[in-house]
Amino acid sequence: MQGTKEIKERINSIKDTQKITNAMYLISSTKLQKAKRSLDETEPYFYSIQAMMERLLRHLPNIDHEYFNQHTDMPEEEKVSAFLVVTADKGLAGAYNHNVLKLTEEKVNTKPKFKLFVVGEVGRHYFEKKNIPVEEEFKYTAQNPSLHRARMISLTMLDLYRRGQIHELNIIFTTIKSGMDSNAQIKQLLPLQVSIPNLSIPMDVYHEEFFLKPSTEAVVDYVVPNYLNGFIYSALVESFCAEQNSRMMAMQSANDSANKILHELSIKYNRVRQTNITQEITEVTSGAKALRGHRR
Amino acid sequence: MSNTFFIRIIATDKIFFEGKILAFIGSSIDGEFEFMAHHEEEIVAVAVGGIRFQTEDGEWHRAICGMGTAQFVNNRCTVLVDTCERPEDIDRVRAQAALERAQEGLIHHSSRVEYYMAQASMVRAITRLKESYDRRS
Repeated sequence: MQGTKEIKERINSIKDTQKITNAMYLISSTKLQKAKRSLDETEPYFYSIQAMMERLLRHLPNIDHEYFNQHTDMPEEEKVSAFLVVTADKGLAGAYNHNVLKLTEEKVNTKPKFKLFVVGEVGRHYFEKKNIPVEEEFKYTAQNPSLHRARMISLTMLDLYRRGQIHELNIIFTTIKSGMDSNAQIKQLLPLQVSIPNLSIPMDVYHEEFFLKPSTEAVVDYVVPNYLNGFIYSALVESFCAEQNSRMMAMQSANDSANKILHELSIKYNRVRQTNITQEITEVTSGAKALRGHRR
Repeated sequence: MSNTFFIRIIATDKIFFEGKILAFIGSSIDGEFEFMAHHEEEIVAVAVGGIRFQTEDGEWHRAICGMGTAQFVNNRCTVLVDTCERPEDIDRVRAQAALERAQEGLIHHSSRVEYYMAQASMVRAITRLKESYDRRS
């Protein structure tokens, strides 16, 4: 049986750890409030820009544009797929980083050639450790996403795409589903795919026809970078919010388990102390008895 | 038929305006464009610049917006831009600082991306300065 001293030490060390997790809980909950606010502000834009893009893709005539170039003339092995991976700067966020990295590895393994653009320290370290090459120049933090950072990222990506260094752009980020639940997602940003209109629309239904100003090419030229920028910004905001959310929950459960262990340990500690006392009393009394018998 | 139409001006950080208006004027890549009620279905590329819209009471409102798109469908208009601000909210000192930074960036840019970045932020800064100045004079 452990002695009281060991148990006491264990209790103290758990208490110290709990201080850290508790502080992290408080920090992430205030950060979460801020992130939630910016997510609420961004959401209308995020949804509208996706709806707009969908509508545009539905109505675009068959155009020949670099953003729609599926590179069908290239062999599969030659194509370079870029992955923009949004991870956290710090660990201790439950399964948040793990989910993103797992999805990334899964997708990367299916591609003959790829480039990884990782936002956040955790992801970069992870791939470095696994000897998976990560773009060195690409260093962005996941903290407090800003429009400026999104612009830098989307411009870098577009530049690479236009110069033919990458042929496909995917983004892997985390969305928050219904309140507390979050899940990692992948979305292909480039090249865009013109969706084939649903042929089951009855003939007598008014079919909206768009007029693109100043010209189809000009609109596509202009809208796509803008869409990319908006999407990346929103993905950064959403991921940051999900990160704080999962960190808060992880710290909450760490706090709870620390309390549980402390409770168990204190019971154990009291039992051991009680046994020790009982034993001492028995020793004293039996000693006294023996002495008394000796005197007689 | 009413002569108003519903408009939503959405920026990345807020819904700037939502409601019925009489007219909307924005700037596109090749000049200004105007939407009035029952405009034909259209998607327009919105350039960095000033926008104006007339609310139902006949008053004109002004704003400065970043790049984006405007679409007009079924007498509803959605303007999606990255930023949108009222002229009185613009921090001229900050815009001036941004302009100077961009000018410096243009002089010694080290990469193509940085060059585009500087160019774009210069346009934004100049537009901000210009539009917020217009109102005061």
